[in-house]
Amino acid sequence: MGSVKIGVVSCSGEDCLGGTISRLATRKMMEQIRPDDAVTLCLPLFIAGGEEERGFAAAHPTITVDGCGKWCAKRATERLSGKVSDVVQVADLIGTETAEGPILSTRNITPEHLEMVDKVAEEIRLKFDRIAESYKGKALPIKGF
Amino acid sequence: MSSMSKKVKVIPCSGIGKVHGLVAREIALKLVNEICTQEAETECLGYIVTEAPEIAERIKDGKCITIDGCPKMCAAKSVAHVGGSVTAEVRIVDILKEYRGYKPGTATTLNDQGWEIVDGAAEKLANRVREIYGEE
Repeated sequence: MGSVKIGVVSCSGEDCLGGTISRLATRKMMEQIRPDDAVTLCLPLFIAGGEEERGFAAAHPTITVDGCGKWCAKRATERLSGKVSDVVQVADLIGTETAEGPILSTRNITPEHLEMVDKVAEEIRLKFDRIAESYKGKALPIKGF
Repeated sequence: MSSMSKKVKVIPCSGIGKVHGLVAREIALKLVNEICTQEAETECLGYIVTEAPEIAERIKDGKCITIDGCPKMCAAKSVAHVGGSVTAEVRIVDILKEYRGYKPGTATTLNDQGWEIVDGAAEKLANRVREIYGEE
């Protein structure tokens, strides 16, 4: 029995700093923290993609990562794909005012921003590992994606 | 951001899987934050995907340039899906034809070649933004 692949879906918003932080924290999960077990999908693929993409949240336990209080990743995932297993709200971790501040280009990333990314990535990891633990010894919810 | 803004809306896919999505995102940010601050603005694609009435209204009001990193054309399709008018569809793959052999970095970070592509493409696209803005 293989380990469950857990989805991490970021809002990657273009409207505020939280969008950049959500994107980078999700990338960190994919590249460094849980590269073998984390899978992701571009949020707009729920509209632009096919049945396979729309079935993502049904096929994988999914954590959404939202950069601001509009909760776009959670709302879009639940409406277009399926119920999410957990959520991460960047504003709860770095403060609403900071999260909803001006959008940041990765060209202007500072060590302070990287600390924010680490903080959000750690929160994703905690929820990720909790979900993975809950699937230990159980049949996988899906066929491969 | 005014609901009746005349500014051209530049909407990138910000795709998370490949460097092309990051290139699209950074071109859009360079355009709206540095080069065409008076003529262009961006809208959050994630918000568009929710199909919330507020963003759908705002999108219907204006002219949009979408920038997509892969053939799925998420930005263009999502804008059209909520009733937006896509005046120009930009594809990163077309931009990269002018930069053969370049390796722009990863979906997390661009390298010097990546930033060269972003800066060059944004300058070029700025002319299109101004044309569209002038047509309003």
